[in-house]
Amino acid sequence: MFSALGNLQPRQLAAQILNFALVLSTAFMLWKGLSVFTNSSSPIVVVLSGSMEPAFQRGDLLFLWNRGKETQVGEIVVYNVRGKDIPIVHRVIRRFGGGSAPLQLLTKGDNNAADDTELYARGQSYLDRSKDVIGSVVGYVPFVGYVTILLSEYPWLKTAMLGFMALTVVLQRE
Amino acid sequence: MGDTKISPHSLAELKNTTDDALGNYLRGLKFEQDNTRLDVRLAIGYASVVIAAATFAADYKLGWEATKTWTAVAVVAYALLNGAFTYWMWAVEKGCVFTGVREGNKISVASKTKKHDPTYYLTISSANSGSKQITAPFTTWFTADGYFVAKPFQQWLASSVEAIGNADSKNALRDQRDEIASPSPEVELTPQGNGTADASGTDGKAKGSKRSKRKG
Repeated sequence: MFSALGNLQPRQLAAQILNFALVLSTAFMLWKGLSVFTNSSSPIVVVLSGSMEPAFQRGDLLFLWNRGKETQVGEIVVYNVRGKDIPIVHRVIRRFGGGSAPLQLLTKGDNNAADDTELYARGQSYLDRSKDVIGSVVGYVPFVGYVTILLSEYPWLKTAMLGFMALTVVLQRE
Repeated sequence: MGDTKISPHSLAELKNTTDDALGNYLRGLKFEQDNTRLDVRLAIGYASVVIAAATFAADYKLGWEATKTWTAVAVVAYALLNGAFTYWMWAVEKGCVFTGVREGNKISVASKTKKHDPTYYLTISSANSGSKQITAPFTTWFTADGYFVAKPFQQWLASSVEAIGNADSKNALRDQRDEIASPSPEVELTPQGNGTADASGTDGKAKGSKRSKRKG
């Protein structure tokens, strides 16, 4: 299988490696392009817990939009707890400020008994719309995101997938 | 070259193996390969990869907020470069598999195949003798189980293309070509008083000698 590669001139080998590099960089740039378009650092997230059932199940894929400055009560937002890198998907139940004053939000999971005050960082009792919120949910696809959950729970899957992709792209010459 | 086995059912593999063999053959005949078109493609491609890598590094180190503007610029630049890359591949390369010069004669070879058609279409543009298209079925140089055989491929090329035939006289089969074009009369000088030669085509003179005299 690799003998096919050995017969190539160095320039052709460089061209094959370029093909693989372009697959990776195009995927990455598409992701970044979507980030720029939605103004969100993570425009597509996966639901990790069941705290928003029955609206969202674990493994649902959510599409975010971060250009709406006046988030309303009842909107579902994704935010990062200050100091942690875990995105949480919950509904806005109270808002303070807005307009010229900085907007502050209180959130709660539909399936949770209490609001998110316990979840926020120590000393934090509300979310800052501009700093903490990654975006509001504008659409979703059920179940598709379960692959991401598998990839994060079994990290060797990531390496295996990447290795397999690399092999197929570099060895095929269509 | 004849040792790698490919799948004779895959048109892509047939074409790619033949393209590679063509390049090897011509380089072996001392055609100096002109790599400009491939170099431009590599340059555009790797430039866009570098931009993507730089964006990734900046984002990893500095986070989203700090790098937002740079990322937007990079995405646009990447899209433009990729567009240029695709355009280059489509318009300029256009199936070209070899461009080279030999003894002042520049040739450019482009190959293509048509879906479900096991034929190799080759377009050769030569500085000396213009452009022509030659075709042959892949079965001419591939065995039924997928081995590439160099000899019939080289013979087909050398006898169909002037520039290649000039470089590789052994495979050019020029004698056979000239013979078909204008069969040489087998002349025997019969001892007639008026000195005229009696041209008849049936004398069994050795085929080799007359021809080598004519080729000079």
